[in-house]
Amino acid sequence: MAVATEHVGRTRAPPIFSLSNAARIVEMVIGGLLLISIMSVVLKFDIRDPRLWAGYGPNFVRGFWGTLGYIALILPISVGVGFAAGWARVSGHRMLAWPAGAFVDFFRGVPPIVVILFAFLFGVDFIPLRVQLFLQDVFGTSSNSLPFTLAAFAVAFHSGAYQAEIFRAGFQSISRGQIEAAEALGMRHFQTMRSIILPQTVRLSLPPLGNEFAVLIKDTSLLGALGATELVGLSQEFTAQIPISGGQIVWAFAIWSSVALTYFVMTFLVTRLLRLIERRFRTPGLDVMSL
Amino acid sequence: MIRTEDIHKHFGALHVLRGITLEVTRGDVLVIIGPSGSGKSTFLRCINLLVRPDEGRVFIDGVQVNRADIRPEWVRQQVGMVFQSFNLFTHLTALENVALGPIRVKKAPRDEAETKARQLLARVGLAAKEQSYPAELSGGQQQRVAIARALAMDPKAMLFDEPTSALDPEYIREVLDVMANLAHEGMTMIVVTHEMGFASSVASRIVFMDGGIILEEGRPLDIFEHPKNERTRAFVSKILR
Repeated sequence: MAVATEHVGRTRAPPIFSLSNAARIVEMVIGGLLLISIMSVVLKFDIRDPRLWAGYGPNFVRGFWGTLGYIALILPISVGVGFAAGWARVSGHRMLAWPAGAFVDFFRGVPPIVVILFAFLFGVDFIPLRVQLFLQDVFGTSSNSLPFTLAAFAVAFHSGAYQAEIFRAGFQSISRGQIEAAEALGMRHFQTMRSIILPQTVRLSLPPLGNEFAVLIKDTSLLGALGATELVGLSQEFTAQIPISGGQIVWAFAIWSSVALTYFVMTFLVTRLLRLIERRFRTPGLDVMSL
Repeated sequence: MIRTEDIHKHFGALHVLRGITLEVTRGDVLVIIGPSGSGKSTFLRCINLLVRPDEGRVFIDGVQVNRADIRPEWVRQQVGMVFQSFNLFTHLTALENVALGPIRVKKAPRDEAETKARQLLARVGLAAKEQSYPAELSGGQQQRVAIARALAMDPKAMLFDEPTSALDPEYIREVLDVMANLAHEGMTMIVVTHEMGFASSVASRIVFMDGGIILEEGRPLDIFEHPKNERTRAFVSKILR
């Protein structure tokens, strides 16, 4: 515990566009050029082929916005669920800790695609008709879109279970002594939570959360298996039609390269954004090895 | 100032405190010595109700404080505490550590609390370290910040739970000096420590605890030179060796 050495504090955050960042961007550019040259030289195919994009373009755009929509829906829900479950597990109240533990165990133990299928196929049956009608009135959800929304919730809960463990670790890494010191100052439980426990938990959770967000973004592609309006699903739909619609098989290579690149850029941006926040709030003594 | 009557505490089957009766008057420095596991720390925690006594009564300024109708948070504002492992808030600078209590608990304006925190840091010799985080401070510096943090609440008395036991030898002096100054300024203090030099020069009284009871109580000279109790004698001879 005692850090006896008086090391020079490295409190200044390093610049965002450091050498490693620049190197990563160079890697991306080289990778992209490599991909295009493989296509044009080896496969004798131009990724910009207008015949491909005339057909696939609308699917790509619709899928991309659909994916963004699902991420915007799922990400906040997963963080909320994960944080609540993580907190519940360390709350010390058995009535909270036990259900939270069961939740985490269940969603960690079952493949996400299975949970998603369950939610999609049978979820609606668990929602009373009155609630369904209410949702229709307020959010304009049709009976067709409700199963997809429920499937999205399944993705959120799956990620939430992992995030619960991240937050739990964050909560538990705050020493009992600091909590006792806060109590000794006369702080009430709520004040201790707000001023001592939460700020440290959030800071310690940021690096592993960035990792989990990257997983979540890619997991939204599972919704494509149900036929949701989402990048992988719509791309698969188009690829399947290539032989009938008179396209070239090599289009598939271009399509999936574009899809891969899109997911890569999304996860890259999100993890970099999180690292930026992480650096902004860096505190000596509150470092976790970041990925 | 602080009085306890027949304090008992059980942890499961363990009877940690078996009837502690003590009185500390204003400006007194009471040093508690005794082997580990004798209940010293638990007793200190009973005074500010971090541990609730099972039996007995705790008085601060004549008011019994271990009652259902008195909030423990209020009691803890009256009595400052310094811990063996410092327990500074990792995510806050030295200044923020000291100012937090007044801001959150006493609802003091931030600039006022920070001005006072600066004065307190200067008083413990750390004016230059106000922007440092705990991880950037030595053990001795951390403990001095912890003392300033407790003082920021304007406590009527201070409790010290082995404040130098976790320190490397070269940092013990600076912490003891701060504590001695505090004592000379008239602060009422209860100190659990094994620093016999500090005990003999600063303490007004020494209490020897073992097995959850007070075996002997007296002036430093009496305890160290002429212990009456057999176990006190054995303990003192071991640590004075």
